[in-house]
Amino acid sequence: MKIKNDNIFDLVKSSAGRATVAFFLVILLGVIFNADGAFFKLGMHRDALRQASVFGILAIGMTVVIITGGIDLSVGSILAVSAVTFSILTIHLEWPAWIAIIACIIVGGGLGAISGSLIAFAKLQPFIATLAMMTFARGAAKYITGGQKISTYITNAEGEVVIKKLPEIFKAIDSRILGGNVAMVSIIFLICLVVVWIFLSKHKWGRELFSIGGNEEASRLSGVPVKLTKFIAYTVSGAMCAIAGIAQAAQETQGDPEAGGGYELTAIAMVVIGGTSLNGGRGGMGLTLLGILTIGYLEKILSINAVPESGRLIITGVIIVLAVLTQRKNKK
Amino acid sequence: MTKLKVLVVALLVGILLPSAMFANSQKESSPVKADDGVFTIGMSQCNLGEPWRVQMNADVKNEADKYDNIKVIFKDAQNDTLKQRAHVEEFVSAEIDLLIISPKEAQPLTDPVAKAMEAGIPVIVLDRAVVGDNYTQFIGANNVIIGAAAGKWAVETFKGKGAKVVELMGLQTSPPGQDRHNGFTDALAGSDLEVIFKADVKWLEANARKEMESALSRFDKIDLVYGHNDPATHGAYLAAKAAGRENEMMFIGIDALPHEGVAYVKDGILDATFQYPTGGDIAIQQAIEILNGEVVLKQITLGSRLFTTENVDKGGVEL
Repeated sequence: MKIKNDNIFDLVKSSAGRATVAFFLVILLGVIFNADGAFFKLGMHRDALRQASVFGILAIGMTVVIITGGIDLSVGSILAVSAVTFSILTIHLEWPAWIAIIACIIVGGGLGAISGSLIAFAKLQPFIATLAMMTFARGAAKYITGGQKISTYITNAEGEVVIKKLPEIFKAIDSRILGGNVAMVSIIFLICLVVVWIFLSKHKWGRELFSIGGNEEASRLSGVPVKLTKFIAYTVSGAMCAIAGIAQAAQETQGDPEAGGGYELTAIAMVVIGGTSLNGGRGGMGLTLLGILTIGYLEKILSINAVPESGRLIITGVIIVLAVLTQRKNKK
Repeated sequence: MTKLKVLVVALLVGILLPSAMFANSQKESSPVKADDGVFTIGMSQCNLGEPWRVQMNADVKNEADKYDNIKVIFKDAQNDTLKQRAHVEEFVSAEIDLLIISPKEAQPLTDPVAKAMEAGIPVIVLDRAVVGDNYTQFIGANNVIIGAAAGKWAVETFKGKGAKVVELMGLQTSPPGQDRHNGFTDALAGSDLEVIFKADVKWLEANARKEMESALSRFDKIDLVYGHNDPATHGAYLAAKAAGRENEMMFIGIDALPHEGVAYVKDGILDATFQYPTGGDIAIQQAIEILNGEVVLKQITLGSRLFTTENVDKGGVEL
């Protein structure tokens, strides 16, 4: 009997256990404040997952970076660059969708690679390098669009507004499958999650990431290619931002140069609530999935109850602190 | 030491390069004289992060392009009060002929505007006010009136049907968001229309879509969506369409930019949009009267236009 209690206690003490507890507490909140039963409708859960998906894709890249002990503040801005690039290529220039998607991933990954080079090779602090990239990429998004949203409404030389057809790829990404029960963006998110998860847990690169985050100097001495591994981490994060930007553009039916403002903070919160340590070396994609669901559901529950903005900010702040406090004991 | 160097380089790349790129797309300021018969107008814009303000600058430019003897220098304060103050001071020292300012905030920009007036530069205050009356002219629309017009339209369209309304609000700590809410609420008072769900979406389309999804999952009957700006209503439409419920309700918004709200109405997405005019064109027309030494009104309140499915091809109707 005593042994069993210990086991349950151990489970709750583990990172995954704590993150699961936090998630179920939020779900319990939804069950109690169910907004006249809205919380129990299937559509609500589909929408909650869809809304969390763009943040989730950012959080995947963020997890990789945070495991190395770094941080990526530029994710929201790179998302915007990707969203406007995708819209210009597909709506204005009418490129085939798959080429536009590849081009966006190259652009996003390229911007991430610049941050990665500054950090890995020029030895800049990740905070500084990605802060600069956050400013730069936001500027780039505004520059290539002239500050205007890229939509299917195009002002021609005579000042008239011409309405273009929305490219099929926008509809495809914003569609639902499995009888309308799962949003396509959620599937994209889950595919990204699984792919990166496999690399993290099965591939040598994943082990090297954790080892760098744990002790960079020791890793270097034991032959881990520290610079290259870090460089790849930020490149992966940039590529994830590109995918998130495409998903964002498809859902808005336009590319907004202001998109993704403040998203970096939500993505960081998701990673940290899951239990991945900001000090690096500890965490994982499964934990981040729990963090994504926790924050995603929290936002949705506050929304269906039409909680005023002030209340939402206060409640979200309190829950982040509580969730992270429960994680802290785990440090050893 | 090398670390410091690299840091400086990073900051330069990250901050100076984008600003250099912006400067490229705007005309640079230089000291000017009206000796050659060309009037130089300084346009101090508080923020170009919103499409409506980009439109305001475009309206100023398009109107000014009609005149040979008008040159406009644009400055964008990027939502920074002190930067805008510096811009006004730069304009004064450059001895421009007239200043058009769309101030970010009233109090901190009142004194710089007064300094310009003291230097003999006429000032047109556009959209947002400054404190007191030490300026030449104020041009702006009235958000309470426009919010009330939306409310009146809703009451006339739905009266007696017990309509359920979703309101997606602009930033509620900003006067335009508050005014568009208050005007609408006052117009609905005493009618049988009921706002069943409202949320502060901070003008953002992505937020509006999220909130609308919540409203849809919570209420089986929604008759009208009122967005404080057209992008918010557009986001709500996308949510309703995804749920297959876009035909059971009507959608109205505010701002009516040519490539946003008006285009949405033409495209059959919005049922109505109420124009919140930028006044950019009026400002240039008034500037020319001022520069010609004519006496102008101290205040001009801009009218609004209503664009609906029926009248959008005829350019809407005056409200």
